[in-house]
Amino acid sequence: MKKLMISALLVLCSVSVSAHTLWVLPSHFVLSSEDSWISVDVSAANMTFVADKGVSPANLSIVFPDGERHAFSQSYQGKRKSQADHQLTMDGTYRIELAGPARYFTFFEEDGERRRLMVNKQERAEKIPANATNVVTTRSRGRALSYVSVNAPNKTALALHNEGLELKLLTHPADVVATEPVQWQFMLDGQPAADVQIELSREGELYRDTAGREVLTSDAEGRIRFTPPEPGRYVLEASLQQESTSALADRVRESLTLTFEAALP
Amino acid sequence: MYRYISSSLAGLVLAVSPVQSQQVEISLELPVVETAQYYRPYVAVWVEDEDQQSVRLLEIWRKEPDWLKDIRRFWRKIGRSEAELVDGRTGATRTPGRYQLSWNGLDDAGQPVPDGQYTILVEASREQGGRSLQRQTIQWGGGPQQYTQEAMSELGELKITLN
Repeated sequence: MKKLMISALLVLCSVSVSAHTLWVLPSHFVLSSEDSWISVDVSAANMTFVADKGVSPANLSIVFPDGERHAFSQSYQGKRKSQADHQLTMDGTYRIELAGPARYFTFFEEDGERRRLMVNKQERAEKIPANATNVVTTRSRGRALSYVSVNAPNKTALALHNEGLELKLLTHPADVVATEPVQWQFMLDGQPAADVQIELSREGELYRDTAGREVLTSDAEGRIRFTPPEPGRYVLEASLQQESTSALADRVRESLTLTFEAALP
Repeated sequence: MYRYISSSLAGLVLAVSPVQSQQVEISLELPVVETAQYYRPYVAVWVEDEDQQSVRLLEIWRKEPDWLKDIRRFWRKIGRSEAELVDGRTGATRTPGRYQLSWNGLDDAGQPVPDGQYTILVEASREQGGRSLQRQTIQWGGGPQQYTQEAMSELGELKITLN
């Protein structure tokens, strides 16, 4: 029993130690007037919405309800959190996204030493030494998302791009309500992604003895179902590691966070 | 009309009084709130069916669109997607006091709703104040009924009567 608990702890630690959780937190999730401004906080931390490290807002963008992507009109990188502002000039649902392109790492051993190069599977042949062993190339990508609706929500900005780990929002984020079930579906490169590891947390952890995080795993169709117990702001943090048969990588390592609001019933 | 004929054929009620069509009487109260900065609450009153879908918006008392979203459930169920309906039903905000409203069983399109279970919702949201939501389930077509809902911070006792 003790052994089991320790190994479970190790698994948890390996997830949380590897990196802080990166989130984007909009000032509002729901707006009812035209030309409203939105302010977005970006931070990486262990405790949900307790800002710890300011992250560069360079890769932050906002997809408008018509599908057009815009850079934020102003942004600032702070020590504990970064901030960006933008004016929302049309009705519908906006996607706020912090995401860079996928990165490729090739790990190998040379003369008993472990090394790493930033090359993909196609490039690696001419970059790594001839005597390299245990060569593995990983594709790595992280995304932080949130959705904001002005007046009537729509679905254009919810569209998937069939690239990396994505979340199909079967329950529209504007329809997430405390005590009502939510159903979403994870996709990897456009295909349902089973066994995605998910941790669901909600604001106010600093003021509770127990954080009360919920751990979920996506089913064979990539689906997750949960019911937010309380109204408030939540972070869903998802990660997936698996073998790949692509031409560019042997493994993929994907992570995604979604900040959302569970409305008052 | 059908109801009238079937009742008279059964020989009931007729002797007492002419049969009236069914009606829901709603008596709501905006309480006096002692505070330095009092703004009149935004109030919405509507009817939902068993699937929690709005069938009829009865009243919406409000001013600026900015704060419409703060009538949270109203906004999600009606306000955000029914701008024309909301404009059409919009009335001025009201001072504290008791207000009498009624529902005649017609939906937003003016069609009679089928008999069954419905919920009357009253939601009030006040700037620099709180939000209160009262809901009362009724049986439309279920004969005379009387209900009361306790007072809340932004809404006084709610009384609902079906004849």
